Amino acid sequence: MSTSAPEATPPKLLQVKGLSAFYGESRALHGVGFSVARGEVLSVIGANGAGKSTLLRAIVGMMNRGRAAHVEGTIELDGRRIDHLDTDAIVDLGVTMVPEGRRLFTRMSVEENLLCGAYLPRCRATIRDRLEEVFDIFPRLADRRDQNVSQMSGGEQQMVAIGRALMSSPQLILFDELSLGLAPIVVDQIYERVRAVNKLGVTCVVIEQDMKRAMAVASHVFVMLEGRIVLDGRPGDLGVDRVSAAYFGTDAGAHA
Amino acid sequence: MDQSGLSEDVYWALIDVANGLLSGAMLGGYYALIAIGLALTFGVMRLVNLAHGDMLIVAAYLAVVVLQFIPISPFLTLILVVPVMFAIGYGLQRFLLNSVSVQSMEQKGMSTGFGLMSPILVTFGLSIVIAHALLGAFASDARIIKNSLSFSALRLSEDLNVSTLRLIFFCVAVAILIALHVFLRRTHAGRAIRAASDDAEVAPLMGINTGRVNAIASGISLAIAGVAGVMVGMSRTFQPFDGPVFLLVAFGVVIVGGLGSIFGSLVGGILLGITQVLAGTYFGPSAQLVGGYMLILLVLAVRPQGLFAR
Repeated sequence: MSTSAPEATPPKLLQVKGLSAFYGESRALHGVGFSVARGEVLSVIGANGAGKSTLLRAIVGMMNRGRAAHVEGTIELDGRRIDHLDTDAIVDLGVTMVPEGRRLFTRMSVEENLLCGAYLPRCRATIRDRLEEVFDIFPRLADRRDQNVSQMSGGEQQMVAIGRALMSSPQLILFDELSLGLAPIVVDQIYERVRAVNKLGVTCVVIEQDMKRAMAVASHVFVMLEGRIVLDGRPGDLGVDRVSAAYFGTDAGAHA
Repeated sequence: MDQSGLSEDVYWALIDVANGLLSGAMLGGYYALIAIGLALTFGVMRLVNLAHGDMLIVAAYLAVVVLQFIPISPFLTLILVVPVMFAIGYGLQRFLLNSVSVQSMEQKGMSTGFGLMSPILVTFGLSIVIAHALLGAFASDARIIKNSLSFSALRLSEDLNVSTLRLIFFCVAVAILIALHVFLRRTHAGRAIRAASDDAEVAPLMGINTGRVNAIASGISLAIAGVAGVMVGMSRTFQPFDGPVFLLVAFGVVIVGGLGSIFGSLVGGILLGITQVLAGTYFGPSAQLVGGYMLILLVLAVRPQGLFAR
């Protein structure tokens, strides 16, 4: 497929150009460039160590750690550069992440975790509406709002983590390893919820190990290998064979 | 005759125990007051400030200065002392201690071990600087914050008394604990403090600025230390180099009560107080301190995370 005409597409929500990321001296991303349109679901596919998580961490400013980690290149949100901002400022602009392993606040109840998500002053006026919205998407959480999150199953914790991200009224949510460690039936439910979140108008970027699942949910996929994007396109156009060839780095199609 | 002599012995033995428990508990309130600030910064946030005790003394001197200019009730000096101490705590954390935290040391390319050490070294130095600054400003004479309650006591029964001041300290400690608890549970800033202490890497994803949140926690911690300092100054004399004594008491209380538990500091304080008073009653005054340290050692040996650790 040829590259789509730029003037036909609406302005991109997220635009990443020439992004390199470093942990100390070692380089984890090599000049990555891509864009995400508003309302899209983008799946990032790649093996362990391909740089997927680093990419998401770079977008939310978690790689801006002086000598410990830093990025080069540009990241723009709605045409505004965010690559030099701290994480809390980026979240205030409407980008957030559901981190790998969920990382809930373990000493808090479901509701307290959700309220933490609405910490920003701009979120506080609409806190009740947002809470209702989250409980609409995850009715199970409404019944357990006072329960401590550490007593919940992995799937339920993932629901809390997604709900917590939603509480900040984001335009863009990055999901890092969404299905890791969850039973397949739970993963189905979670992906159904991601679609529901996307229907609310939230743009989603999903990191997923399961290639078929990633391609099923996405309107746009790309494959990463050793810190580079080696394949980029619509899932229907690419096909499973080319994606898996790119995933394993076995040449063919990777540079088509 | 024999019978009444025996029962009188029993009565006095019971009075001894009752007095020990009561004054121990009251002493515990005083200890808790000293320790609550540290329970928040060290216990909950894991921020180290070895100058915490010196800050208590700073607050006491601040009250002395205020009273020199305006002769009001010592309790009213809190109106000035508390906000000033909050500002000191906030500024200290934001502009000095945050830049020597583990995260900022890693950003500067230092090892984690170095990052853990640096707040200890910096605040140890700060403690010395503060003590010498106080010495320069006030000389080494022992001071006390004069008040009408120093020698007053409430009589509960013929043989059972409680110091009015200690009772007030106890009530103040309980009030501060409740207020702090409600703050941490029910406000956005309180939840942010808990979130940042639970997972400092993920908290920013909630839009939480962890540097600012740490500064607010340190401000609150020193504001509470300010209350404690004025109370301490009302009940005993103090000198510029007294800070470390209070730091030690506060660490003891936090260790006994348990890291991360705010209410643990009240229970820890009461246990420490009762142990000290009973040890003093039965084994002489010199046993008082030893008894306290034995309790701390016992807790460390049996339950190193503290009684109410979370």
